[in-house]
Amino acid sequence: MELLIIPCLFALIALVVPSNFMRQYALIGGAVSLILSVVAMVSFDVTGFKTIFDPHMVTSFGLTFKMGYDGMSLFMVVLTNLITFIILLSNYNRTLATNKSFTALVFLMQAALVGVFTAFDGLMFYIFWEITLIPVFLIALWFGSSERKKALMKFFIYTFVGSLAMLASLMAIKASAATFAHEDLVAVTLTAKAAYWIFAGFFLAFAIKIPLFPFHTWQPDTYTASPMAGTMLLSALMLKMALYGMIRWLVPLAPEALPDMTKIVVVLGIIGVVYAGVLAIKQSDIKRLFAFASISHVGLIAAGAILISHDNWSAVFIQMANHSLVAVGLFLAADIFEQRLGTRNLNDLGGIAKQAPKFAFMFGVLALASVSVPLSSGFIGEFMLLKGVYSYNWLVGVIAGTTLIIGAVYTLRAYQLSMFGAPKASPFADLALNEWLAFLIIMVLILVFGVYPQAMIDFVGPSIDNLIQTIK
Amino acid sequence: MSIEQLVPLILALPLIGGVINGIFGKNLPKQIVGSLATIAMFASFGIALLVFSQLHEAKTINLFTVLHLENITLNARLLVDNLSIWMVLIITGVGSLIHLFSMGYMSHDEGYYKFFTYLNLFVFAMLILVLGSNYFMLFFGWEGVGICSYLLIGFHYSDAEKGMLNGLAARKAFIMNRIGDLGMLIGLFLLLAQFGTLEYTELADKIIIDQVPVTTWMMFGITLCLFIGATGKSAQIPLFTWLPDAMAGPTPVSALIHAATMVTAGIFLVVRSNFLFEHPGAEMTKDIMLYIGLATSLVAAFIALRQNDIKKVLAYSTVSQLGLLFVSLGMGAYTAAMFHVTTHAFFKALLFLGSGSVIHAMSDEQDIRMMGGLKSKIPVTHITFLIGTLAISGFPLMSGFYSKDEIIGHAFEHSTLIYVLLMISAMLTAIYMLRMYFVVFHGSFRGTKDQEHHLHESPPSMTLPLIVLAVLSIFGGILNLPGIFLKNGTHWLSHHLAHNTRGLDLIQHSEMSANTILGLMAVAVAAFLLVLIITYRVYVVRPQLPVNDEQLRGWELTSANKLYFDEIYNTLFVRPIEWMSVKGHQVFELVILNGIISGSTKTIEYSGELVKKWQTGKTDWYILWMVFGIVGLVVYYLLTVNI
Repeated sequence: MELLIIPCLFALIALVVPSNFMRQYALIGGAVSLILSVVAMVSFDVTGFKTIFDPHMVTSFGLTFKMGYDGMSLFMVVLTNLITFIILLSNYNRTLATNKSFTALVFLMQAALVGVFTAFDGLMFYIFWEITLIPVFLIALWFGSSERKKALMKFFIYTFVGSLAMLASLMAIKASAATFAHEDLVAVTLTAKAAYWIFAGFFLAFAIKIPLFPFHTWQPDTYTASPMAGTMLLSALMLKMALYGMIRWLVPLAPEALPDMTKIVVVLGIIGVVYAGVLAIKQSDIKRLFAFASISHVGLIAAGAILISHDNWSAVFIQMANHSLVAVGLFLAADIFEQRLGTRNLNDLGGIAKQAPKFAFMFGVLALASVSVPLSSGFIGEFMLLKGVYSYNWLVGVIAGTTLIIGAVYTLRAYQLSMFGAPKASPFADLALNEWLAFLIIMVLILVFGVYPQAMIDFVGPSIDNLIQTIK
Repeated sequence: MSIEQLVPLILALPLIGGVINGIFGKNLPKQIVGSLATIAMFASFGIALLVFSQLHEAKTINLFTVLHLENITLNARLLVDNLSIWMVLIITGVGSLIHLFSMGYMSHDEGYYKFFTYLNLFVFAMLILVLGSNYFMLFFGWEGVGICSYLLIGFHYSDAEKGMLNGLAARKAFIMNRIGDLGMLIGLFLLLAQFGTLEYTELADKIIIDQVPVTTWMMFGITLCLFIGATGKSAQIPLFTWLPDAMAGPTPVSALIHAATMVTAGIFLVVRSNFLFEHPGAEMTKDIMLYIGLATSLVAAFIALRQNDIKKVLAYSTVSQLGLLFVSLGMGAYTAAMFHVTTHAFFKALLFLGSGSVIHAMSDEQDIRMMGGLKSKIPVTHITFLIGTLAISGFPLMSGFYSKDEIIGHAFEHSTLIYVLLMISAMLTAIYMLRMYFVVFHGSFRGTKDQEHHLHESPPSMTLPLIVLAVLSIFGGILNLPGIFLKNGTHWLSHHLAHNTRGLDLIQHSEMSANTILGLMAVAVAAFLLVLIITYRVYVVRPQLPVNDEQLRGWELTSANKLYFDEIYNTLFVRPIEWMSVKGHQVFELVILNGIISGSTKTIEYSGELVKKWQTGKTDWYILWMVFGIVGLVVYYLLTVNI
């Protein structure tokens, strides 16, 4: 329970902490939650389930309040707390870091995400899912760039539609279940027709949040309009709710729809991989480029998430962790350009490698990790996901495989245009300590998981098996 | 120590060297950085020699399990047999010499420690590639050497003039390799789908011993995909155009990565997969391999005729020689290919390092039109370069003579047409190599006064590797002498490799009659002498020096313009994709997809109150309440309505 309450407390206290102590306070808050979740992880039996809140009561309309975690949930919680800490660390020397409401919103986001990942009641999941919208929305609205309003309007409409669809599906499936508890909802057997509708509702919500082609047009605008920390929360954490949701809720609740729906999801995912990848090639705004890159990468993960199997889902978790780390790193890099030079336009950048060698090195590592080179966590994750998609359908697999090539094109282009050649603007300050530390943590984790991904598999594997059992 | 303990050490030393230099190198003196990297290499080579001398039976060494899932297990496991240890000897041996050479060559470079870090890491990845016991390890190393190659081609990325161009060359190499890698990856998926494993020995057991039934198409698909991977890394048509551009990297890199080791990874892949390629279903792939190799060999040799950049000539020469190797593999002559890989590593590393020494002496000039008469100015470089030139051109009794002759001999047995075409390729090789040699070292000096003033022989750390490689280039042929020279111990390397390498022991080649061998050799010698006389007359007696490209006509212009491959690729692939990227964004994304959603946005905007609040800018709380409202409504609804 403390995993959920501590961030809430930190969010509340943030409102009364003096501004000049805010940055340190935020880091401490991030560290406390991270340590707590790591402690929980160490003492956790990976085959088991730990309840964190269960009043053993059912309200008249079926709400059970059940919250807890198995391996997959705890994995996501640790990831959330880790990424939140890295985000706070990256943000440490930004002006935003001293802002009370900003800090409070980040902690609120953390709490809501932990809620999403530990909810074992459909309605609780839905409520936490909706709450996450508040902090990212307000961070973008209060602290975003000048184009934010239009972008946020779009974002809001999309999300609103998705949420309503999910709610409708939840209500519909509850109609045949005793309560909203996860196990009760999973136990429902649906007719094929009902399953389609229920599947469609959840899927729409998740597809918008991930986002999958063609529901993605809010994403590049919102990513570029948000301040750095907001973009990081959106890409590194918020979209993971949807990928996690596909595995925890979508597939188990309406498996009857899978035979026909799998095709659609995989195809949409892979269209996104290629489409967003190709669009990323000629983007000149580096943040927008990474936004498209993100669409491209998560399309493949989403395809893996719908292909129910131990191997594919393991790969999904590896790749979710990898994507979170890489996304935070790349958006930090994009922000470093903006903060130092006031521009993110690749045509105005150049020669920074010579001016800022530390930054060049770290950005280089991230760029290589983003194209999934060996020794980086993406190498195995992408290999396994591509194999999964390939086994499903060879042609789709081959098309998905072009991400190997397209990804290299846009990532290296972005890196080289900004870093190589003669400096175009001067001076360019190298990494500050907090930025360097953030990159370092990311780099070390990418390396560790790149060499020994089995550590992650051992953790999520048994709970994946348990979940698959309940579906069959 | 046992082999099980020694082999991981071979891998670990370059890795440790790379890591130490990578982390601390910046603050260490150059001598220490260079020595550390070089000593790590020599130590690794020493251990490899020890293992080589002790190895009798193939051994597998388990390191750890990378990934263990339901349907797939990926192991970090090594396979030590005569094939892999032979490759290790080439990599660490030639690698050591090139490290030593680099200590001198790179001594004035700012990024000295980075250079040695990348070089050591490259060797590590290359060793994983050859020592791995399964295709996953091979792929790991395969991608790893690709990255190091990328980093080293674009090594001088901060150069004000050429930085961006170096970067472009590096990117081109990486992307073209990735195209091949996709083919290879699909090959691995096919293997997994068909056999459920990526371990070489398990696959060989299933195919050779169990004779698991596989359809012809499946086998064709698997081997073709693997070969597509090989065309990327080993620079074959259609994926060869990156290798000449890769010459943007420092010259020792060209010697190590783009001549002696990495580019032969594709050859190694096929030799290692011989049990797949010898399957009857792979017959068609072998033919494709043969003809692609043949075409590449001729095309690259043709282009090399009118190149004036000393390194570009050598680059096309490498492409051409790799083509020859694929011809050999296409005929099933695996050990002959390995023999030529070995001798090629010697003389091509020698030639590249020699060209480095020339460039060093010429104050970074690479254009052979600006050179001339260097033979007396840099005598050691001259003699060793001459040896390299003769070795690659097939001068009698030097290493290239034997190794090339063996492949050409196989071609003679295979088909007369291929034999004739290979002979033409061999003669073209002799022509462009001798042309370059004569233009660079004979005649009179054509560079600037400054360059002439600075002309100097390279330091011992650079000339020593040249001498060692020159000796190997002369005598390397002894490794695999044909039957006419010896009674016992003929084809030592072939027998040695076949001794415990899976699949190679099953391949029988009939020994050609002594008369045939002598006849073929006589033809080869005659062809070489003919070329020697003609080139000597054209470039020394009455020198017709290379002119600027603008003055060229006909075939010479086509050769100088590299058969317009780059232009064709740009028109066919690069520009259309860029067009799609731009138009896809402008038209499809912003107008069509966005139109749908902004249509609905507008509907809401025009619907009254909301718009006014939205436009006044005081909407923060409105939005907040709206979100709260959704949640609130849901809860209220649920509390009141009992479903």
